[in-house]
Amino acid sequence: MSTERELQFEDLLRNVAAQEMPPDRRVDRRTALRVLFGGLAAGTQAAAACSPLSAATEEERERKQLEWRELIKRHYRLMTDEERADTIERLERLAKLRTGVDVTIQTTPAQPGVQFGYAFNISRCKGFRSCVEACINENNLDRASDTQYIRIFEMEDGVMDLDHADATFQHDVPAEGHFYLGTQCFQCANPPCVKVCPVGATWQEPDGITVVDYDWCIGCRYCMAACPYWARRFNWRAPEVPTEEVNPNQHYLGNRARKKGVVEKCTFCVHRTREGRLPACAEACPTGARVFGNLLDPDSEIRWVLANKRVFRLKEDLQTEPRFWYFSD
Amino acid sequence: MTAHAAHRMWIRVLPALLALAATGCTFADEEPAVHVGADAAVPTAGPDAASADVQVTVSDVRSSIEPGTLPTVAALPVHGRRGPDGLPFEVAQRTRDAGAAPARKFGARTLTIGMRTRAPDLTQYPCTACHNRAAVVRDADRPADAHRDIPTVHPSAAGGGCRTCHARADVGMLGLQDGDRVTMDHAYRLCAQCHFRQVDEWAAGGHGKRLDGWQGRRVVMGCTDCHDPHAPALQPRVPFRAPSLEPAGRNR
Amino acid sequence: MHLTAFARSALDSATSGGRRYHLWMGGLTLVMLFGAYAWSVQLREGLGVTGMTDHVSWGLYISNFTFLVGLAAAAMMLVLPAYILHDVDFGRAVLLAEAVAVAALLMCLSFVIVDVGNPLGTWHLLPIIGTLNFPSSLLAWDVIVLNGYLAINLAIPFYILYSRFTGRSPAKQKYLPWMYIAVMWAVSIHMVTAFLLAGLPARPYWNTALLGPRFLASAFTAGPAFMILMLWLIRRETEFPIEDAVFAKLALITTVAAQVNLVMLVSEIFYKFYWPTHHGINARYLFFGIDGHRSLVPWVWSAVLLNVAATAVLAIHPLRRNPRWLMIACAVLFVSIWVEKGLGLVIPGFIPSPLGEIVEYSPTWVEIAVTAGIWAFGLFALTVLVRVALPIEMGHARSTELEEPPVRAVVRPLAGRLSVQELTRTRAVRTPRRDGPPVRIR
Repeated sequence: MSTERELQFEDLLRNVAAQEMPPDRRVDRRTALRVLFGGLAAGTQAAAACSPLSAATEEERERKQLEWRELIKRHYRLMTDEERADTIERLERLAKLRTGVDVTIQTTPAQPGVQFGYAFNISRCKGFRSCVEACINENNLDRASDTQYIRIFEMEDGVMDLDHADATFQHDVPAEGHFYLGTQCFQCANPPCVKVCPVGATWQEPDGITVVDYDWCIGCRYCMAACPYWARRFNWRAPEVPTEEVNPNQHYLGNRARKKGVVEKCTFCVHRTREGRLPACAEACPTGARVFGNLLDPDSEIRWVLANKRVFRLKEDLQTEPRFWYFSD
Repeated sequence: MTAHAAHRMWIRVLPALLALAATGCTFADEEPAVHVGADAAVPTAGPDAASADVQVTVSDVRSSIEPGTLPTVAALPVHGRRGPDGLPFEVAQRTRDAGAAPARKFGARTLTIGMRTRAPDLTQYPCTACHNRAAVVRDADRPADAHRDIPTVHPSAAGGGCRTCHARADVGMLGLQDGDRVTMDHAYRLCAQCHFRQVDEWAAGGHGKRLDGWQGRRVVMGCTDCHDPHAPALQPRVPFRAPSLEPAGRNR
Repeated sequence: MHLTAFARSALDSATSGGRRYHLWMGGLTLVMLFGAYAWSVQLREGLGVTGMTDHVSWGLYISNFTFLVGLAAAAMMLVLPAYILHDVDFGRAVLLAEAVAVAALLMCLSFVIVDVGNPLGTWHLLPIIGTLNFPSSLLAWDVIVLNGYLAINLAIPFYILYSRFTGRSPAKQKYLPWMYIAVMWAVSIHMVTAFLLAGLPARPYWNTALLGPRFLASAFTAGPAFMILMLWLIRRETEFPIEDAVFAKLALITTVAAQVNLVMLVSEIFYKFYWPTHHGINARYLFFGIDGHRSLVPWVWSAVLLNVAATAVLAIHPLRRNPRWLMIACAVLFVSIWVEKGLGLVIPGFIPSPLGEIVEYSPTWVEIAVTAGIWAFGLFALTVLVRVALPIEMGHARSTELEEPPVRAVVRPLAGRLSVQELTRTRAVRTPRRDGPPVRIR
């Protein structure tokens, strides 16, 4: 492992560390805001309960109250542990009330000493899109508009230009004279989307995953304009997932139910990968074109690929430092 | 018993034989360690295993293979390599059933990974049914359709024959050039004789598919899980549905 | 109290007028109501009822936003000479310019509100209870500068008008420092909005150093052009005196800015097309279309041709001095810059996408209705502001608390229509003396 490479990983870590809020500021804010939010919460709950418009059935009234309370909760990173537990309880209950599905929403934090990295073998990918299918099912992606985080581009041999690639192919693959290149969120170490968000609703976690607090996002879509890899998706309408297909294993920062008007993105399956599992796309890939692992673990497969293969990243000139590399056999 | 019924029966006993191959056979002077998950049906290995009724249904296996429950065998050294920095790893066993290609649970839906399953093709299994002597059965005794379903793409391209890979004395095993014999689960050792680069990469993580998570136990799929050894190139197939670029499809 | 008298007088001024005035306001109200209905549809269904997609994630709303920021900034082009360079010609037009700024800002903020997907979450932008990502996010900057500019442009005219209303003369030391700030602030709102787009390496179409200056040049073209049209209308419809010199000076500003704007457009086009690279692919889509996708091509060429024609007209002195030609040229410039900077700047930035996919955009009826509603709202606000300001400026409206009872006056439109030439010729006669009794026509 070269020194430069190691330095780069240190940089990654430092970047993340720099984005963490100073603890004293957090505490100050917390104490100041708790009073305010407590009052607001009580007020709106009372208002919702007394409102003549409140629904007839007990369940609907409960749902309305929970929805009101959800509207005025705080930014995920500023919540205390109790506040987090409360919102999880509310969200799980709301999911039950809305769809009848018992979901579990985790708040599993990043594992210490872990920085996720991804490598994609462009000579192995055959364009089957099994990853796309797995991603849709795993992440509760909107079926109505067919949201897909992953794009598989069919590229002509000898051309490394996405402008001449086609992602809408629907013929037997692999096609003669073509190779396949997949894109998704690259979890940049220097993410433009995080920099531009006006309310800090998207940020980089210590394990390098850029996540979105769906309840804090105001839906301005500046991050979508800022992403050089077209990795972000917007809920133009309320997303729809058939009840029987809902993945109940959810994460607050990952695949939980989104609402209309907010931005979402690939999180490297944060609910799986923080438990040591592979992202759904990597697990579903039938060709083994996808290599996933811990960049800080010198024995990991991803580190072997980076050290032994000629790798490249998309649009490296933009200095976004993607954690997603391409390589070939 | 009709020919078709016989065919079906062979499929059902295949997993037992694979388990037998993995546990019962000794070769060189190593005893391969076998890790079998709690939910996998492992029939007791024995000479009469071929006739054992194996109670593994497609739905059992399909329901979900959670991390840590994959049937695996420990990988043996290939050219001295044991994976990244000498760390051991395991190889997922070839599927035990036609429908049991590693099925993984994604959300509420089970997805069958499009891995090649060879079991339905092995209509003459076990090999010893015919190849029970040192010499092959005489032409006159040979069934008319023997091995007609086995593509010979790889042997003809490589200029080899059956015995280039299949062990001479025991065709249920694979024979290496140095005289070693290996079970079907360790086919990568055979492949490594020519495809050493690919196997090196496979052992290190640059080729092939890793199962069972990025952390902890490292389980990878073997060569023949994806490549048909007789016709190794992956066959083209229809991809999952394409994304729509039509704004009309999205918004109206 | 003076304040309630002021409010009463303002309400009085804003709600009384001739038949045409009420028709105008009634028409605007209808358009606003329809826009509000369309917005309610959008709130219920989500932004999916617009033509925007994951590929073209900003559309008509943000296009209008960027254009109107320019209009708001351009108002300061009149304030600068009037208050800081002591060019008295503009004195009378300044408050009107600030009314334009306020109306444009109200439209800007409305366009942002209708564009966000989660309007209930906009409190996250507020200080203390929210988490404004300042100074990292240019959008946070924009929130601050736009609201600050709105506050300044509301406060200064209010102070001046209120002083006059209560019979005092506004104290220069109180408002002049704010004027200086406002002038710099005007440049800043425009630069910040340009930087908001130019700071995105993901979008090479915007990621150019020329974007900020181009924004300013086009703003100083469209803004004064709009002011000329509005002042002309006010002069025609009311007795508010506006000197010819104001028009001449504004026309000169417009002409110079339009020429600079064209030079910048040409250099941009040269840079994108002399040696076409990936960075020029959006411009290629805009001007020539790619693979049969050419929905913006007719728009942008019309805009460029109109822009060149209008600039040519303005550049010829006899034509520029002819009010009719001047008005036509200004109207054409305003529209062409709206197309060039609205549709032609924001939307092609998304086509093709950063991954080379081409998805075209066309607004839906909801978007068009909401946009029309917001424009109607802006014009409504502008009319009200002008209606309130003019009587006070002319000395007609004075606080009832003052000892001297006010001349209750309402600005009424002229009964007959005067030709432009006639107005220009007779103007001197109609200029009231500031210190004398108000001159009232009919």
